[in-house]
Amino acid sequence: MLDLRGVTVPGRQRPRLHALSLQLKPGERVALLGPSGSGKSTLLAVANGLITPPQGRVLWFGEPASRRPQLRRRQQARIGTLWQDLRLVDELSVQQNLNAGCLARWSWGQVLLNLFSAQDSQACRLALARVELDHGLLMQPLDRLSGGQRQRVAIARLLRQDAQLLLADEPLAQLDPPLARRLLQLLLELGQAPRALLLSLHRPDLLEGFDRVIGLRCGELLFDQAPASLTSADLQQLYSTQGQP
Amino acid sequence: MRSLLFGLAVLLAPVAPVLASEVLRISAIPDQNPERLNRLYGLVASELSDQLGVKVRYMPVIDYTAAVTGFRRGDLDLVWFGGLTGVQARLQTPGALVLAQRDVDARFRSVFIANRPALQGLTPFSSIDELSKLKGKRFSFGSESSTSGRLMPQFFLAKAGVQPKDFSGGQPGFSGSHDATIALVQSGAYEAGALNEQVWESRLKEGKVDTSKVLVLWRTPTYPDYHWVAQGNLNKRFGAGFTSKLQQALLNLSPDQPRQAQVLELFGAKRFIKAPVEQYASIESVGRQLGKIR
Amino acid sequence: MTPAGQMLLPVLVLLPLLWLLPQSIHSGGLDLLLQFWLAALQPSLDPQVLLSALRGLGITLAIALWSWLLSLLLGCAGGLLSSGLVSQLLWGCQWPAAVIKRLLALPRSLHELLWGLILLQLLGLQSSVAVLAIALPYGALVARVTADQLDALPVRPLEALSSAGAPAWSALFTALLPPLWPQLLSYGGYRLECALRSATLLGIFGLGGIGADLRLSLQSLQFHQVWTSLWCLALVMLLLERVVRWLQQRWQHPLASVGQRGRELVALLLCLGVLLIPSAQLLELSWQQIGTRWQWPQALPLWDIAGWNQPWLPLISTTLLLTLLSALLALAITPWLLVLLCPWKGCRPLLQSLGLLARLLPPPLTALLMLFVLKPGLLPAVLALGLHNAGILGRLLLESLDARDCRASQALQLAGAGPRRSLLVAGFNAVARGYLSFGAYRADVILRESVVVGLVGAGGLGVLLLESLSSFAWIDVVPVLVVYAVLTLMGEAAADAYRRRLLQGHLPLEGFKPAIGP
Repeated sequence: MLDLRGVTVPGRQRPRLHALSLQLKPGERVALLGPSGSGKSTLLAVANGLITPPQGRVLWFGEPASRRPQLRRRQQARIGTLWQDLRLVDELSVQQNLNAGCLARWSWGQVLLNLFSAQDSQACRLALARVELDHGLLMQPLDRLSGGQRQRVAIARLLRQDAQLLLADEPLAQLDPPLARRLLQLLLELGQAPRALLLSLHRPDLLEGFDRVIGLRCGELLFDQAPASLTSADLQQLYSTQGQP
Repeated sequence: MRSLLFGLAVLLAPVAPVLASEVLRISAIPDQNPERLNRLYGLVASELSDQLGVKVRYMPVIDYTAAVTGFRRGDLDLVWFGGLTGVQARLQTPGALVLAQRDVDARFRSVFIANRPALQGLTPFSSIDELSKLKGKRFSFGSESSTSGRLMPQFFLAKAGVQPKDFSGGQPGFSGSHDATIALVQSGAYEAGALNEQVWESRLKEGKVDTSKVLVLWRTPTYPDYHWVAQGNLNKRFGAGFTSKLQQALLNLSPDQPRQAQVLELFGAKRFIKAPVEQYASIESVGRQLGKIR
Repeated sequence: MTPAGQMLLPVLVLLPLLWLLPQSIHSGGLDLLLQFWLAALQPSLDPQVLLSALRGLGITLAIALWSWLLSLLLGCAGGLLSSGLVSQLLWGCQWPAAVIKRLLALPRSLHELLWGLILLQLLGLQSSVAVLAIALPYGALVARVTADQLDALPVRPLEALSSAGAPAWSALFTALLPPLWPQLLSYGGYRLECALRSATLLGIFGLGGIGADLRLSLQSLQFHQVWTSLWCLALVMLLLERVVRWLQQRWQHPLASVGQRGRELVALLLCLGVLLIPSAQLLELSWQQIGTRWQWPQALPLWDIAGWNQPWLPLISTTLLLTLLSALLALAITPWLLVLLCPWKGCRPLLQSLGLLARLLPPPLTALLMLFVLKPGLLPAVLALGLHNAGILGRLLLESLDARDCRASQALQLAGAGPRRSLLVAGFNAVARGYLSFGAYRADVILRESVVVGLVGAGGLGVLLLESLSSFAWIDVVPVLVVYAVLTLMGEAAADAYRRRLLQGHLPLEGFKPAIGP
């Protein structure tokens, strides 16, 4: 689904990603570990096309990332990102935010209509139900929701987008332990075939259920293995301050 | 989206059509109270309409400059101009014609008035040189482009060696109209002012002036003032000979007929007479001297 | 210095004004002034006067409505085209937006009155002159505000949508329109209030509407008739301000809940649409006329060098002095009145009604009134401009005081501080940055507005301009216009720089929901 080959993204002092290669197959759920500043967010930005790496190749669903805007948008429409800061539109209602996931395939008329009236409630209800939110929230303005609820809305937007490749940037950062577990469970379920999930996190204790764990350090791949085979020595090496700038 | 809807509304709004049939649009410089002007020119419009058999419409204008501009642009067909504005209008409008003036207009005067309590000791005088006594006083003209309320008074003041900057506050005021000048000087807001002699006399006759508060200091020598100016293209628009019919209609206004009498009375005239164009040369040269005509 | 201190400091302007006072005061028209205020109690109810006032008011409202609408259309289009973000989307580069932005500065640089007088020459006597005269500078102003707001919005949601494959325009509309909308609505409502004030002002200079009634009846000292018009205007102005404020509060997020508010919006649009037709008829607006009647004055010596020979230094310095004094006066009045009167219960209503009165009376009228007791010159002009703008600034101050978080002053009052002290320490400091930034913006407006008080002999560029226009001296008009435009553009840049420093990059604008500090 995602195929990065020798990707390098230059940074100010040292490259943010250096000759990184990574493959993701359908149904694979991959955890991305690494200390702050190790390039996790950059990797996700390359994966969803926000950054076009000057060196290396990015393949989406077996095709090289296109440079033609229209084609590129069609590729990107199949990649969904759960941003760390969610990036929802605060001024819109829950339903309108969910529908914002459909912009890629919608016509102009539908886009404008979405700003004024409800569009396809049924699909939105299903998406909300999938993330265990009450459909009564559909008409609520987004700014009345709690942090946890907003995060679920953002996930539901990915469902509405019908994304195949799910990318999540530290979705568990500000959640209490039980909530974090439930959300992770949800994302892991969503990441089953035919979809795939690449999720960055800071919690080595929550790797259960992932198919692979990737360790990233200073923009380079440190390890890429099954979670079961991950040793504490690996983790120590990953988070050690030695060699850090 | 809102702009979109509004855009639609704009397109759909049925806007008034351009005036279909030819209408003779008359106007006048706003030198008096607007109610009086409305009454007067309403009467003039219906009188001309009856006599000439065309639609006549009075277009009120509240600014001298706007009246000249409207005439130049062809928005106004027949305008009662002052001396200066008439010359300005004709200079800017090729083909424009002077149709008539009142009997009083060929030998018109301005009066300088003063507030009696404020200027104790200042008595009427007959020599122009004594205008220099107005130096340092609070002084008001009428409208900026008025002949009798500004141009000629300023001209005679200059002859007596008084410049606008010699007045109190470094500049004269502009009351806006002759009536306003009387009121402001009478109240004491200004110590002295200059206005149209004819307006002064008629207000005096109507008893609207408190002579215990205002007195006349000096009357200027005569000069030509108000006149009717018409567009040059009226014959083309209203049929051959229309301009002379219009001129006759004005000249024929007589005090024997009730409505015409009313018109003449409001104009403060016995009748209208022909106006020779040459007489305005003096106004033009004064206008050029004072920078009001370039 | 604390922000509150900066708010109180402009009161020093009273020193030069007090110094000017003895040499320009006279008691000649005290009587008249008294009569004027007494006449407020008994406006003329003569049916003819009333009818004329109502008709004038109708025309003024129609001018305001149409010019406002036109300015919003122009402004939204111009705003989109001059936004760097949109330019990036459309053309992939930012320079077209920068160029359009510069071009839009030109219509903005002249006061609507000047536009009116110029258009009068070009288009002749028709009411579309007033409509266009307001719509052009306002449109350019709305465009600037829209572009600034657009470029200041958070772009992250937009990024998120684009990286999920959304087409550029769809993403733009979904991610940026919703946050922009309440600001535009709020600003749009404020522009309507401004348009009403401008339409009244244009009337005073003969471009139609109730302003003409006001000026003529004041000049002929018919104070009872003046007050008939003033009361009508006050009623409409108050109503408009209240309705706009109410709608602004109600529609903070108009897109968020579909349904009721959407329906209200549509209903309001329909109402406006219905109003547009009779107002167009009242004004005898017709597009054919606007399209076909352009005509330049004959032999327009536009670039004759002789016109440039003017005493620029005194002209410019008088204009700047007038602006500076008026702006400081406008800034100083309300805070000081608040401090002095705030322990008294009637303080708010008193200030509100004084503010309404100040906004109601157009500066040239106030200036004419001042002439009853002051000699012509700088002082009546400063007072007229200062008081009018104090009315506008004061309303913003009171509103932002109401909207502010009052916990701090509560805490102070519970600790025993009096109302004055808590207002000074907690209230003023909270709103000062916003107020001062509005003040800077207002100073910029006053610079343009200084032309309207040329009537009372304040001197400066405005007088020269009005005099040249009335003498049809085109040779002088163009240089003065150019110098004026350059001056106002420089003023705008200076005011912006000050506001940017004050708010550290964050620029709330007058008319937006009261913003409080960064």
